Amino acid sequence: MADEVVRLDKVRRDYLVGEQVTTALGGVDLVIERGEFVAIVGPSGSGKSTMMNLIGCLDRPSAGSVKISGDSTSELSDNKLTELRSKAIGFVFQQFQLLPNTTAIENVMAPLLYQGKSTKEARKLATQMLTQLGLGDRLNFDRNRLSGGQQQRVAIARALVTGPDIVLADEPTGALDSKTGAAVIELLKELHREGRTIVLITHDLEIAASAPRRVFLRDGLIERDERGVS
Amino acid sequence: MRILGTAALALNRIWATKVRSLLTMLGVVIGVAAIVALTSIVDGASQGINKSLATLGTNQLNITAMAPDSLTELDAKALAALDNVSVMFVQTQNQGTIATQDSRVNARLVGVSSQYFEAVKPAIALGSYLSSSAYASGSKDVVFGADAANDLGITKELLGNTVKLNGQDFRLVGVLDDQTGFGTSGRVYVTVESARKLFSQYPYVSSIVIQANTPEQVDTLQLQADLLLRQRHGLGAETTARYTITNQASLIAAVGSITATLGLLLTGIAAISLLVGGIGIMNIMLVSVRERTREIGVRRAIGAKQSNILIQFLIEAIVLSLAGGVVGLIFGEIAAFFLAVLGDWVFSVRLDTVLLALGFSLLVGVVFGVWPARQAAKLEPIDALRFE
Repeated sequence: MADEVVRLDKVRRDYLVGEQVTTALGGVDLVIERGEFVAIVGPSGSGKSTMMNLIGCLDRPSAGSVKISGDSTSELSDNKLTELRSKAIGFVFQQFQLLPNTTAIENVMAPLLYQGKSTKEARKLATQMLTQLGLGDRLNFDRNRLSGGQQQRVAIARALVTGPDIVLADEPTGALDSKTGAAVIELLKELHREGRTIVLITHDLEIAASAPRRVFLRDGLIERDERGVS
Repeated sequence: MRILGTAALALNRIWATKVRSLLTMLGVVIGVAAIVALTSIVDGASQGINKSLATLGTNQLNITAMAPDSLTELDAKALAALDNVSVMFVQTQNQGTIATQDSRVNARLVGVSSQYFEAVKPAIALGSYLSSSAYASGSKDVVFGADAANDLGITKELLGNTVKLNGQDFRLVGVLDDQTGFGTSGRVYVTVESARKLFSQYPYVSSIVIQANTPEQVDTLQLQADLLLRQRHGLGAETTARYTITNQASLIAAVGSITATLGLLLTGIAAISLLVGGIGIMNIMLVSVRERTREIGVRRAIGAKQSNILIQFLIEAIVLSLAGGVVGLIFGEIAAFFLAVLGDWVFSVRLDTVLLALGFSLLVGVVFGVWPARQAAKLEPIDALRFE
């Protein structure tokens, strides 16, 4: 059996909005193996955010099972789920979501500190990671003094620093101009070439085209699962 | 994540919102400053009163006449003969005038028996007390209280010279240094015999002070004295006497209970202001939780547990409150220092006040920080991340 980092079996996710039950995902099967670069594509309302939340261990399915690195998320307590998330997932958000009033290095140190690493070790690892992403001279800049592209690279460094099984990028180019966006996609491709598993959530078909595998969602169901250059 | 790192984070955040944090702290600052300043006032005041009372001796009973003729020198002699009485003196007093060649003022003329100075030991500024030879020979000597001396402009040169009391010649032998004293100012002291020549030819006295050998005997002595006086005056046990017997120890106890009540009252007021300060902190923390919902979401996403978020917000509330407490303590002690200078009592920074102030502000931080912190910790990560 290949090394499955994500396994979704008949996953449903229903939300109660007022008295109305809305189905965001209506029974989805998906397997992502280690080292894959998958784009999850769909218009808003297709269920891709729900998919991201489930893969990202931020949410649990209403029915079916979600296994991340072999652990089923529905059986875990909030604490255990957080531990799994901390170990397995690195998030890259659309609006960068750098922490307020903190410097680049403090942002990258935060996930390590939450894992219980010492400040000294966290600082060392964060410095390495930021230097690797070309931000070695911006360690103590706070977010107001970083450009959009730099902020997103800090966010990517923060996602990578714990060595997660999956890098989960939610519209990572959404807040960037096309040139900077392209650079971020290049960076993701490079990370993929280094062997990392990348899951890219996007509504943008052009962006999605940069991934070797593309999962199309519509109305809470998988419409198509394409592989190869599109 | 370690506590220290979380505390640093909290300080960071507080520094980032300086003005708001300062305003939020203000309630606690005022509350703590009030506690510190007020306890020092109560402390200083009771210190002063107790000092004055203590100089009169704690073993004493004051028997005061309620009418000019209710106590006599014979009563005093009989009281002196009771068991366990170590010292006895009498006072007889009246309003009168005192005069030098240049000026003339009103004063209280007090006749005291020979044991008075030995028992009360007032501080002396110039000259000496009334001498035993003055009592023996009946010479008309006078000792001035500090205020009387001031009123009349008594200087060192006048010592040994003649001053006039109610028009009669007296020799000035001493001036007391009793400005901080208790009821001795504006007075001049002469022998009981001289006093009789000044204003009362009859052997009546205005008060008799007796002192028990030990503090434990005071209560018994009080009963004995009352019984004796009732017998001498032919009063039944139920008849209202025309004198009162006050116990120095019970006076101190009364002052103690007044200051305790006062202290309680002031603590109550301070507690209310701390409560208000605490509510201010809770309010701002709730606002902060709402404003930072996304940040909380991001922190949860990158691996923060509920407990990390709880501790982060709780520590922030505690740091706010404790910082308010420290600032309040400093302001309170500064106020206490100036009050001590004004009120002429000893200023000291008491460890228990410091611990009380810091303890209270810590408590306020915890009590009013817990709820907002729990709100923050209980946010669902996905809701928090989606929050606009």
